[in-house]
Amino acid sequence: MKIKAIALNTFKEAIRDRILYLLLFFAAVCIIFSRILALLTVGDRVKIIKDVGLTSLSLFGALMAILMGVGLVYKEIDKKTLYTLLVKPIHRYQFLLGKYFGLVLTLFIMLSLMSLIFLAVIFFHTFRVEWQILLAILYIFLELCLITSVALLFSCFSTPILSSLFSLSFYLIGHVSWGLETLIKKLRPGTGKTLAQLLYHFVPDLENFNFKMEIVHKLPIPPKIFLFSTLYGIFYTLFVLTLAVLIFRKRDFI
Amino acid sequence: MALKLETDTISRKKIHGSSIIYVPSGKYLKYATFGCSSLLADLVYLWAIQYYSDESITDRFQHLDHIFSIISELDPRYSDPYDVGALIAAYEAGDLGLSLKILDKGLENIPDQWFFPYTAGHYAQFIKKDPALAQEYYKKAMAIKGAPDVIRRLYADAIFKAMDYERALQTWLEIFETAKEDRIKKIASNHIYQVKAAMDIQNIKQAIEKFKKRFGHLPMDLSQLLKAGFLNTLPKDLDGKDYLYDSQTGEVKMPTIPWKR
Repeated sequence: MKIKAIALNTFKEAIRDRILYLLLFFAAVCIIFSRILALLTVGDRVKIIKDVGLTSLSLFGALMAILMGVGLVYKEIDKKTLYTLLVKPIHRYQFLLGKYFGLVLTLFIMLSLMSLIFLAVIFFHTFRVEWQILLAILYIFLELCLITSVALLFSCFSTPILSSLFSLSFYLIGHVSWGLETLIKKLRPGTGKTLAQLLYHFVPDLENFNFKMEIVHKLPIPPKIFLFSTLYGIFYTLFVLTLAVLIFRKRDFI
Repeated sequence: MALKLETDTISRKKIHGSSIIYVPSGKYLKYATFGCSSLLADLVYLWAIQYYSDESITDRFQHLDHIFSIISELDPRYSDPYDVGALIAAYEAGDLGLSLKILDKGLENIPDQWFFPYTAGHYAQFIKKDPALAQEYYKKAMAIKGAPDVIRRLYADAIFKAMDYERALQTWLEIFETAKEDRIKKIASNHIYQVKAAMDIQNIKQAIEKFKKRFGHLPMDLSQLLKAGFLNTLPKDLDGKDYLYDSQTGEVKMPTIPWKR
């Protein structure tokens, strides 16, 4: 109940933030612009619209998660409103989880709005509703949940600027970590290879939530990957949130 | 605004395509896309269309291979660039080898796309005039699920153009027997007529050559070849008509145009 109350309050606060609408506006512009961009191609126009649309959803969603998430806890500390909350009979983890779920709810609304615009643009082009795209959007949302947890983690002990940098780095590393596999294959057996392997397993792999290529090209996706990607997302998010709770519990605000 | 307008009037030297021609291969560029390699492939393709449409860039075909390989490495399943790249290479750059290379790459990355070997066969047959190579490509296309029946007819025609009349006749007969539509049966029948006529004319011409060698002049009519023993029987076309012979030039022709039967 307490988590729910904090979540709803966080949602009401976040939904009023102008940065969200600015990012939503730019996302809408990108998605609508893709329709014009598609006119320049020779061949399949829908592919251009889908690629631009899905990338916009992912990129602007990540920006929303990072920019909102890094200020979640920091703002409360900075404005000293956290003290009034902590004297109340709520645990620190309840506060943190409430903040997390509040932002996740905000992101869900924003992503839904962007998705509606995207599906509408596709519908006006093809006069068909492409339900498979919802699958790609679902996993984008899962990715955003993970990024939000990371932003929240950094927000617990760092300033907004540094938290933004760290969260953005997490996002970028997450999308490049698949390259470590190539590096591991090229390394000779030894300490270097072992370290690379350890890094590969520890560093986040956000490509697990990236089904854009498969959805756009209508490639078959093994059903098993959906389950494992979802579990990976959930467990990694839980791990990051646990870390955030542990850091926040130990933090002294006086 | 006035300053901007003024700056725009100053001409500056440009290296056309400099934004992309020095880009490393798509294999390494993929690492810098952060999960958006498909979008980057789209943007590079859109750029390439504008670049190759600009006729003022006289050396624009120099990096054709590099640019289209970037796109294929970023998004191997993107089929349009293979078609368009091959088209530009074949018709504008006049580099058929590159065109076939792009289409081969397309088939390698999208093995279920019959259009690539079909297009390659088309280029081999009608641009390179290499029916043997065309046959290879048509055969690959025919083996892909969903390939239209017309490819089999093109394959048979390529065999005929390679002057392998026996095999061409066999293939056209198979097409005739398996055709479900009367239109296709009619097409196959006309080609069978054409192949048989080509075989008969070849035999008659060989007999004429032997006659000329023996007697020092061309025969007055084809019956002389029978009497001289250079032919066992006088061939007739599929409709039972005699072949037309010109005693002045030694040319032998079909009595009917196959498509007007």
